[in-house]
Amino acid sequence: MNTKTETESNQLQSAASDEVAISMSKVNKWFGNFHVLKDIDLSIYKGERIVICGPSGSGKSTLIRCINRLEEHQDGDISVNGVTLDSNLKNIHAIRSDVGMVFQSFNLFPHLTVLENCTLAPVWVRNMTKTEAQEIAMEYLTRVKIPEQAEKYPGQLSGGQQQRVAIARSLCMNPQIMLFDEPTSALDPEMISEVLDVMIELAETGMTMLVVSHEMGFARRVADRVIFMDYGEIVEQNTPEEFFANPKSDRTKLFLSQILSH
Amino acid sequence: MTEITEQNTVSEKFVPKPDLPPPPNTTGAIGWLRYNLFDGFLSSCLTVLSLIAIGFLCVNFYEWAFTKAVLEATNRQECRITPTEFGTCWAGVEFWFKRFIYGRYTDSEIWRVNSAAIILILWMVPVWLPRVTAKLNIALTGVLIFPFLAGYMFLGGERNWFMEIMVAVALGCFITVIVHSFLCLVTGSGISKWIIKLAGFAGRSERLHKVPVIVSAAIMFLISLFVINGVAFKEMSNNLWGGLFLTLVISGIGIATALPAGILLALGRRSKMTVIRVLCVAFIELFRSVPLITILFMATTMFPLFLPEGFHINKLASAIVAVCLFAAAYMAEVVRGGLQAIPKGQYEAAEAVGLTYWQSMGFIVMPQALKYMIPNIVSNFMGLFKDTTLVSIIGLYDLLGMINAVSQDPRWIGLHHEPLFTAAVIFFIGCFAMSKYSQHLERNLGAGHGR
Repeated sequence: MNTKTETESNQLQSAASDEVAISMSKVNKWFGNFHVLKDIDLSIYKGERIVICGPSGSGKSTLIRCINRLEEHQDGDISVNGVTLDSNLKNIHAIRSDVGMVFQSFNLFPHLTVLENCTLAPVWVRNMTKTEAQEIAMEYLTRVKIPEQAEKYPGQLSGGQQQRVAIARSLCMNPQIMLFDEPTSALDPEMISEVLDVMIELAETGMTMLVVSHEMGFARRVADRVIFMDYGEIVEQNTPEEFFANPKSDRTKLFLSQILSH
Repeated sequence: MTEITEQNTVSEKFVPKPDLPPPPNTTGAIGWLRYNLFDGFLSSCLTVLSLIAIGFLCVNFYEWAFTKAVLEATNRQECRITPTEFGTCWAGVEFWFKRFIYGRYTDSEIWRVNSAAIILILWMVPVWLPRVTAKLNIALTGVLIFPFLAGYMFLGGERNWFMEIMVAVALGCFITVIVHSFLCLVTGSGISKWIIKLAGFAGRSERLHKVPVIVSAAIMFLISLFVINGVAFKEMSNNLWGGLFLTLVISGIGIATALPAGILLALGRRSKMTVIRVLCVAFIELFRSVPLITILFMATTMFPLFLPEGFHINKLASAIVAVCLFAAAYMAEVVRGGLQAIPKGQYEAAEAVGLTYWQSMGFIVMPQALKYMIPNIVSNFMGLFKDTTLVSIIGLYDLLGMINAVSQDPRWIGLHHEPLFTAAVIFFIGCFAMSKYSQHLERNLGAGHGR
């Protein structure tokens, strides 16, 4: 793979401030008897870009899905932009409209055109008029380099294009935080780079990003911090240089040797 | 890469072999016959036997329907073709046909039923015209508001203040729909755009555009109120309603309420709120487990026992309510099936962009689920349309009830087969049309969505 991410290894300037965007303390979650998240303590600063990696089943997707309440945590506190996540629907909606999410399986709305996918939430959640929403949508579709597909249906696009639409759809809500749940795992290899390029450009704008991904080239280039999770715990977190050069725990070393060896 | 292209230029140009004709007797009419009808000894025998059976039936049917037909008679005795044998008494069907359609509705008032039908058709036709905008509003008003107008036209009599308002609203909506559709067809832009333009609001901000539209809607309402003010129809009690008209009223109301009620029940059954879920499950299971005829009897005979004395409930109204409840319970399960076909990711994506529960159901989940549900929904509608004939057992004169009544008439006693055949044809036309339309709808909605 000869992507921009791996050829250019220059690190992005860190845009992180010392204002906390997301804070999690003593977060626990169970699926039935299975303890997925164990005492997670994590603070994420505004503008920080974080890549979370770890073996499957380690709880990394669950962790970011707790941030916009797609999963409910059962113990501990999560607050996003100062709003505490509890069962209060108003808080949940406020947080969801400020936190964008990109899924592994795109989850575009197949019965709506690309443009309608992008304008639906701004019109109904942000109360924009249709014309305003369409202008903004076209702006973001241009930024992800597919303005010409606006009138097509998601089923007519390739996987990479669909994922870029999904990113544009989230950005149309003008979110302050973006969550990416394995955004490139469902893509054919030749389409991964087009999505990663869009994500790198997004990182350059200073967006707070949490990315669950195994794209280590992307992590090296973009991340301020790499977090390694295993068995529901945060095992190790560090800057990418340190993380890849001197992994401290044995589990991290094993994981890195497995994913970097092929 | 470069090596391959070089090889291509060097090698000879590839010329495909010419197509050979297929083996004889495998294509065309003979091929089709051989493959489908005479594919071996057994299948040839079955084909011949079936042809004989079909031929026999056709000849007998032809004899019954045409050879023995009696087209002119004033009572059944005149339908004899020999002193001992009755012919096929189409004259009886002709004599009673108006009653089969309208029941015992007074002849001079039948125009009201016909006009309501025409209004409904004019109201709904724009939904199928591609150039017309705001189709959803047209369809919704047609389903929610038209029944008040139709109800008054059928029933007549005095109007209380509520009916006065609703009839005026319905009339206003109808005129608006017609004018809107006409403007859309002729000029390409709908009534609200014209109002905004004529009121001089076109240059102002979009948020102000509501103002002239609301004002003109109010004016429209006042005009219709004024128009209907002097108009009053003769009262036609609903025990005079009957025939196909009554069948369509009951099944129409049943169909119109079953889908929305079914959607609500299905959502309730999937709700996280225990009380709502338990109530919905109880309702669905109760009404699905009891035969419709039992529900009809309960509604018309048992239910009035629980009412305070002197409080009468109309038989037709209770039958309609019973049919609606029954249909809603069945529809709920159809809808639930459709909802399960929607991947979890769609719910999550809708939640993640900040849509509320009702928004994500209305914009994301239902439109997709309804597409999967169309075949089942339409089967349910067809079932409901045919099941309404059961109301003849509780003494309502729907199409089947009228046919039974006719056979009891002293002059036409014993006239059974011909009216029943007519009813079968009427039901077949209705159901076949629904089925064809649902296939058309499936194809249209499937187009453009890709995978």
